[in-house]
Amino acid sequence: MIAGIRSEWLKIRTTAVPWVLTGIALVIDGLLILVYFVSHDGNGGGGNGGGNGSFGGLDYPHTAQQLRNLLGAGFEGYLFALLLGVLIITIEFRHKTVTTSFLVLPRRPLFVGAKLITAAILGAVLAIIMLVVTLIGGGITLSADGGSFSALVHQIPAVAPGMILVFALFAILGVGIGSVLTNQVAAIIVSLGWFIILEGILVSLVHGAARWVPTGAATAASNLTRGRGADFGLFNWWQGTLLMLAYGLVFAALGSAILTRRDIT
Amino acid sequence: MPSAIEVHGLSKHFGSVQAVNDLSFEVEQGRITGFLGPNGSGKTTTLRMLLGLVSISSGTATFGGRRYVELDHPVHHVGAVLEATSFHPTRRAEDHLKSVAIGAGIPLTRVDETLDLVGLTDVARRRVGKFSLGMRQRLQLATALLGEPEILILDEPSNGLDPQGIQWLRTFIRHQASLGHAVLVSSHLLSEMEETVDDVVIVSHGKLVLQTTLAELATKAGTTTGMRIRSPELGRLTALLQAIPVAYRQTAPDTLVIDGATPEWFGPFAAQNQIVLYELANERGSLEDVFLSLTHGFDAAVPSGPSTGEIGEFGAGPAAPGAPS
Repeated sequence: MIAGIRSEWLKIRTTAVPWVLTGIALVIDGLLILVYFVSHDGNGGGGNGGGNGSFGGLDYPHTAQQLRNLLGAGFEGYLFALLLGVLIITIEFRHKTVTTSFLVLPRRPLFVGAKLITAAILGAVLAIIMLVVTLIGGGITLSADGGSFSALVHQIPAVAPGMILVFALFAILGVGIGSVLTNQVAAIIVSLGWFIILEGILVSLVHGAARWVPTGAATAASNLTRGRGADFGLFNWWQGTLLMLAYGLVFAALGSAILTRRDIT
Repeated sequence: MPSAIEVHGLSKHFGSVQAVNDLSFEVEQGRITGFLGPNGSGKTTTLRMLLGLVSISSGTATFGGRRYVELDHPVHHVGAVLEATSFHPTRRAEDHLKSVAIGAGIPLTRVDETLDLVGLTDVARRRVGKFSLGMRQRLQLATALLGEPEILILDEPSNGLDPQGIQWLRTFIRHQASLGHAVLVSSHLLSEMEETVDDVVIVSHGKLVLQTTLAELATKAGTTTGMRIRSPELGRLTALLQAIPVAYRQTAPDTLVIDGATPEWFGPFAAQNQIVLYELANERGSLEDVFLSLTHGFDAAVPSGPSTGEIGEFGAGPAAPGAPS
C-alpha cells in the first residue's frame, strides 16, 4: 500500500491538478484575509459582519473567537480538497492512464484505496499550507494593525486540527464521488452543484437536515463551535467525523464495486 | 509444466454482441506466437480479458495456471503493450516509468535501463504530450519491460512505427524469445509477422480458426503451388484439361492457374497440343493468401471475395464470369 501511495503521489504531482488547486485556494485565502480586515469592526466575528473598515486603534481582532476566525480564513478551501479528491481519480479515466494503473494494481478496490489515502494526505497538506499562509499573511496584517502576532499563534491548536481533519475528509469524499462518477466533468459538476446549490436548498427545506448533510457533518467535525455544535443542531465533533467519513467510504465502496465490474476497453 | 498462457473456452459478449466465442489456445515459453485475425475479430478483447481489464463472460484465461489478478506482482511476470492506452500529457517519460516502477516495487535503476533499451534516453525528461506515435509506442514497450517479465503481450505493436521501427521491433521480439520469454503478439497482417513468429493463432469473428506452427502454415501454402499460364487459346486449353484429373481456375480472361502443375509437365503438354503460350510461370500461394482464405472463408455469411483468395475451392470449369469458353 505504501508503494501504491508513493506511486499515486508521483502521478498526481506530475499533473497540473495539485498546483492549480492550491494556487486558486491561496488566492481566495488572501482575498478573505483582506476582506476580514477591511470589514472588521472590532465588535464580533469576522467575515462580512461589520463593514466600517476601520484599521488601527483598538479595532484589530483581539478576542479568541476573532483570532480563530481570522486563522480559519482558509477554511473556504475545503471545496478544493474535495476537487483534489475528485480529480485524483477521474483524471486517470480522462487521459486513459487507468489502463496502466490497473495493469500495475489489478485489484481495483486497492486502486481506490490508494487514491483515498493519498487524497486524504494531500487534503491535510492543503489545509496545513492554507494555515501557514494565513498565519503569515494574517499575522503580518494583524501586526501592522497593532495586534499581537503571538496571540494569533496561540489559537493554532484551536483551529488547525479541525481544519486538517475536515480537509482530509473532503478529499476522501471527493475520491468516493470520483470512483462512482468517473467522467471528470460530470463528477465536478455534481460535486460543486451539491455543495454550492443543492445542499443549501435541502437544509432550508427539510427541518433537521443540517446535521446530516456533509457540510453539517464537516462543520461538526471541525469543532470550531467548541463543543456547542448541538446549539446549531449539529452532531458533536467525532460523530460528525464518522458521518463524513461514512459518506466518503460508502461512495468509495460503491465505486470499487462498479469499477470491479467495469470493462476497460 | 503449464503453458505460459492458456486460454480455454473463452467467451465475451458485450450486450448482444458476441466479441469472443469459445476461444482456446496456448502460448509456450520461449516461443513467439502471432495472434492473427482481421480487425474486429476479437483479438484486443481477448488480450484485455487475459490482463484482467475486461471481464470474462465464460471460460478461463491464465498465466501458468493463474489469472492476472491472482499474480503476486503481475508487472514482474507479464508485460503488456496495448492499443488505446495513453499517458498523461504533462508527465515526463521518466516520471511515467517511475510511477509504474514505484507502484510495482521495481528499483528505479530499471527506469534508465528500459529507456535505454527502447532508445528514449534522450527524451526521458520530455513531456509525453510532445511525443510522436512511434515514441509513445516505444514508451509503452519500456513500461512493459520494467518488471523484466517472462511473458510479453503486444497488441498491434507496429502501429505507428516507421519501417526502421518495425525492423527494430522484430529484432527486439526475437531477442525476447531467445531469452526464453513467451511473446504473444497480435496483428491483422500476417505478412508483418511471418518473419517473426514461430506459432500462429488465427481468429475470425471471435472464434479460433487455426492454431499451428508457422512452418505448418507454410507447408499449407506450399501445397497450393501451381502454374500460371497466359494464352490466347484458353478455350481449347480448358477443354483439354477437363479430360485429365487436374484442378485449375481462371484468374483473368487470358490467364489460368493450374494447381500442382510443374513446367516439366505442362511445357511438353502444351507443345504436344500446339497451344500458343504468352506466359508460363510458377505460382506459389503466399502465407497471406492462406491467412486471407482462412479468416475470410471461415464465416459462410461473408460473401466470398476475388477468386485469388479462394484456395481449395477452385476446380472444374472456368471460374471468372464473362470468360470465353
